[in-house]
Amino acid sequence: MSILGRLLRREDPHSLAAPYALDALEPGERRRFAKHLQGCDRCAAEVRDLAEDAVRLAWSTAAPAPAALRERVLAAVRTTPQERSAPARERTPQLPPHVWGTQPPPGRTRTPRTRSLFVPFATATAAAALVVASLFAVQAHRTQDRLTAERSRAREIAHVLAAPDARATTSKDARGRGIGVIASASEREAVVTLSGYGTPPGGRVHQLWLVRPGAGPRSLGLLAGDTPLVAKGLATSSSSLAVTIEPGGGSAQPTSQPVVQLSLNSVGFGE
Amino acid sequence: MRADELLVLVAGGDQRAFEDLYTLVSGPVYGLVRRVVRDPAQSEEVAQEVLLEMWRSAARYDPGRGSALSWILTLAHRRAVDRVRSARAAGEREQREALRAGEPAFDQVAEEVEAGMEREWVRRCLRRLTDLQRQSVTLAYYDGYTYREVAERLALPLGTVKTRMRDGLTRLRECLGGAA
Repeated sequence: MSILGRLLRREDPHSLAAPYALDALEPGERRRFAKHLQGCDRCAAEVRDLAEDAVRLAWSTAAPAPAALRERVLAAVRTTPQERSAPARERTPQLPPHVWGTQPPPGRTRTPRTRSLFVPFATATAAAALVVASLFAVQAHRTQDRLTAERSRAREIAHVLAAPDARATTSKDARGRGIGVIASASEREAVVTLSGYGTPPGGRVHQLWLVRPGAGPRSLGLLAGDTPLVAKGLATSSSSLAVTIEPGGGSAQPTSQPVVQLSLNSVGFGE
Repeated sequence: MRADELLVLVAGGDQRAFEDLYTLVSGPVYGLVRRVVRDPAQSEEVAQEVLLEMWRSAARYDPGRGSALSWILTLAHRRAVDRVRSARAAGEREQREALRAGEPAFDQVAEEVEAGMEREWVRRCLRRLTDLQRQSVTLAYYDGYTYREVAERLALPLGTVKTRMRDGLTRLRECLGGAA
């Protein structure tokens, strides 16, 4: 084959974006194009859009799954272990390894309590994912005039995540509603996310409290939907976080029982 | 709760969240796999693999890259296409497939399914594409052919098929914009 012929036959990698999004490449091509994507921001953005379009083709195909499938899958799930870590990818905010629970927190002079040693890894991941997920949701849906505030919050969150002793924990109820926290005792800061609680009816609000031994609860502010709240100046003796439903604007002291409470022991707080 | 939130809980090992997520996504997953794979027994097998992978690999889901449903359906489509291609490589259905080339069987599973708005929108929008755009897109997505195979079937140059696929998807996006 002539050199010209070979050049003409050579693929322009960009043109493979649509076949890639449709899963219409052969395995070798798929691998090569996936590799190309890592260094081509324009292609990656295009593939993301085209892949969303392709998924819409699936809308027209939904069909009730056989009942026996449900039983088999749910039974298998009870005995199937999960992959423990998300592989590192571009565009994913990189949390320090200790946040993910793969390393003990550095720089802690106190002997870690047994309890903090046994924070399940998956719990830390879920809490971090909760917070990161909310952050992305927030940034994707805000109009320009609110972006500045969001960016400044994102910087504050990044600051907590970057702390050498940042740890994560989460708690959820049977209905899947949850609270997640990533906290640093050395920075005395925490990022708190509420998930699945919606907005209280009648103009009331979710208010976040810091519970300290020997002192009344201290308000950390109002939680708006699943937007992460950055709390600062936390006393290291603080024992837990609590969320109550309060009248619009919030209260000076809680006026109702907490709808959810989360111990801060496993993230390095408390005595 | 939305699929996105549930998937994050599933990544933390929450089996109840997985049950809720199963309820939300099993229909779309099974229907898509069935559309591509056709054979009911094999479809059930592939759907089971996909739904279990959703449990195993939930931690891989990156909310910054799109919705949970997209993530799961992308996974399902990839698995279904892999299955149908290895079946084809084994020569099982070559003759039958050749007869159907170019005319996607919209009604394959329709009798099992209640008619939904989304289904109508997608069909209506597909009808608005040019014939070559529609065939390029549906032969690849619904029938699992590679773009080289699509080019052979439609007797078109490779470059033309790639362009038709891209234009078809883009027009679909424009048409479906109002339905999202």
